[in-house]
Amino acid sequence: MKRLRRLPISDIIFALISFSAAFVVLSLIFSTIIVLYNESSLAIHKFGILNFIFTVDWDPVKEVFGAAASLYGTLVTTVLSLILAIPMAIGIAIFLTEISPHFLKTPIGIAIEMLAAIPSIIYGMWGLFTLAPIMANYVEPFLQKTLGQIPVIGMLFQGEPQGIDLFTASFILSIMIIPFITSVARDALNLTPNIMKESAYALGATKWEVVKDIMIPYAKLGIYGGIVLALGRALGETMAVAFVLGNNHQITTSLFDAAATITVTLANEFTEADSDIYLSSLFYLAFILFILSFVILAVAKFFLLKAERGYSR
Amino acid sequence: MNTKDIYQESPIVKRRKLISFFALTLSTFAALFGLFWLGFILFDVLRHGIQGLNLELFTEDPAPPGIPGGGLRNAFIGQLEIVFFATIIGVPLGILAGTFIAEYARGTKFAKTISILSDIMVSVPSIVVGTFIYAIMVQPIGHINIGGVVGVLFLSAILAIIFGGILNFIVNKLFPLKESSAGKLVSLVNTVITILFGVFMFSFLLPKLVDKIQGFNGWAGAASLAFIMIPVVLRTTEDMLSLVPWTLREAAFALGASYYRVIKDVVYKAAATGILTGVILSISRVAGETAPLLFTSFNNSYFTMNMNEPMASLTVTIFNYAMGPYEDWHVKAWAASFVITFFILIVTILSRFIIHIKYKG
Repeated sequence: MKRLRRLPISDIIFALISFSAAFVVLSLIFSTIIVLYNESSLAIHKFGILNFIFTVDWDPVKEVFGAAASLYGTLVTTVLSLILAIPMAIGIAIFLTEISPHFLKTPIGIAIEMLAAIPSIIYGMWGLFTLAPIMANYVEPFLQKTLGQIPVIGMLFQGEPQGIDLFTASFILSIMIIPFITSVARDALNLTPNIMKESAYALGATKWEVVKDIMIPYAKLGIYGGIVLALGRALGETMAVAFVLGNNHQITTSLFDAAATITVTLANEFTEADSDIYLSSLFYLAFILFILSFVILAVAKFFLLKAERGYSR
Repeated sequence: MNTKDIYQESPIVKRRKLISFFALTLSTFAALFGLFWLGFILFDVLRHGIQGLNLELFTEDPAPPGIPGGGLRNAFIGQLEIVFFATIIGVPLGILAGTFIAEYARGTKFAKTISILSDIMVSVPSIVVGTFIYAIMVQPIGHINIGGVVGVLFLSAILAIIFGGILNFIVNKLFPLKESSAGKLVSLVNTVITILFGVFMFSFLLPKLVDKIQGFNGWAGAASLAFIMIPVVLRTTEDMLSLVPWTLREAAFALGASYYRVIKDVVYKAAATGILTGVILSISRVAGETAPLLFTSFNNSYFTMNMNEPMASLTVTIFNYAMGPYEDWHVKAWAASFVITFFILIVTILSRFIIHIKYKG
């Protein structure tokens, strides 16, 4: 307190104002949790937690709501988009750190990051008008003829290719999340000490062996962080998916069927909810999504912080 | 047989080289793949968007559904207004909070917690933000519109600061005082006048701009975009302030400046470019957001400047028009996408360029 008294009045006022701003930011997060919980309490009491998560029905007329179909759609699109994006993104990161000529590094790096700057609604519209027809006419029939003939895996590629389905949505998502993985992975790969790479070259390693055995293990934590970050992004993406997924509450084995994700359900139905329990169930979905992404992003942050600490040592 | 021959003829080495070549080629293709999609999307937006671009798009309101013609003036104005108020609310909050955790609370647990939480907030699904704002600013019909009050508060504070700056400038020009006691008195009077001006603006603007909640409203849209902006601005401010060398502050302290003066006149000046770039980037980021506006500002097919009514925005209009059945709507949606995409791309590239020159050049 003695120190505070010596401070001029303007200093105390400014410190207080900036403290309250920081406090507002902190309270925003907590009030989000409280408000979402409060709004969804009606549905939580009626449907329970596990019951809600494992119920497939989503029937506004009978007022029976379950999150299983939306969660399933979210899970499938997220996992599939990660499967498509991870190899691509790491490939691009390797290209940017090791292969690209120096003068191309910055422009190509910025170009890849531009993919993240394009608004998601543009992805959605482009997906609906341009990509979906291409998918329906060329890519999906091709996949059916090839991968679709293999037993078990073939189950994923059944049905009439429409272009408005899980596969197209995941594909668009994968393009959207590539820059998130790439930029984190590139920064992590760049931090590999030159002396380690040079030692490996001196032992006769090829460039790929240096990348695979020296750089990637070194940058492992950073790459994990980037992947988990991208996972969090893919979970919460709304507009890009809303255009090309239909809004169909069902669990299907085929990737060529319309489905719903939590975000798509919210975007399509939130303003149409006509009963309290309907709205409350939608809030419940939002609450689940918030908790999911919060936990996943916290994990990503954990990896990245750990990676940072590791490198600075 | 010398060693060179053994090395070159060994099939294992050949295989390893081949694998290396193959893997590196694949990653080059990955880069080309990424660039291909960027080019494809931009080209497509350009190709379709150019067709719908004309003057009426910016100057006329929409025609009734199904009838060709008309424009999207309501959406352009609505978008500008929502983003303007989001900036008014989000930027000062973000900068102030960033300043607090980078300066006053430097290195404390509190600062680290906020820093980590806002990193998480940056990536929280934007549609969840929309539902949160809906619950507090759309659903409670008849209650006070918090977003509106906060918006007007920040607007009048900013106006007061500008007013105070001008007042200070004029007074100093008119009466260049040498004595420090008189100078202190003048600056005290200036401050009081400035605060009174701010209070007056607030009480004058509040009833004019903010009504009780009647349902979907523009303030809610602005608040949800501000929610998304705050962590972005906060983190940039924190990073940029921590780039300012500590010795610079010490030099100012040694001259007897208070911490407030040091922050205002030294630290902010040194970090201005970086913070400004962060602010511009955060504006371009929220300019493309759709999901949080869907159930906050909703949509409006009529022209309105009143933030208490549902308000059209470009992005929500694109969503409705693209999903709609009319060919004319699709053309308009593409044109609007063209405007928004290239605005964002140009702003992003420019600000990256500025950062590049300032910090790496």
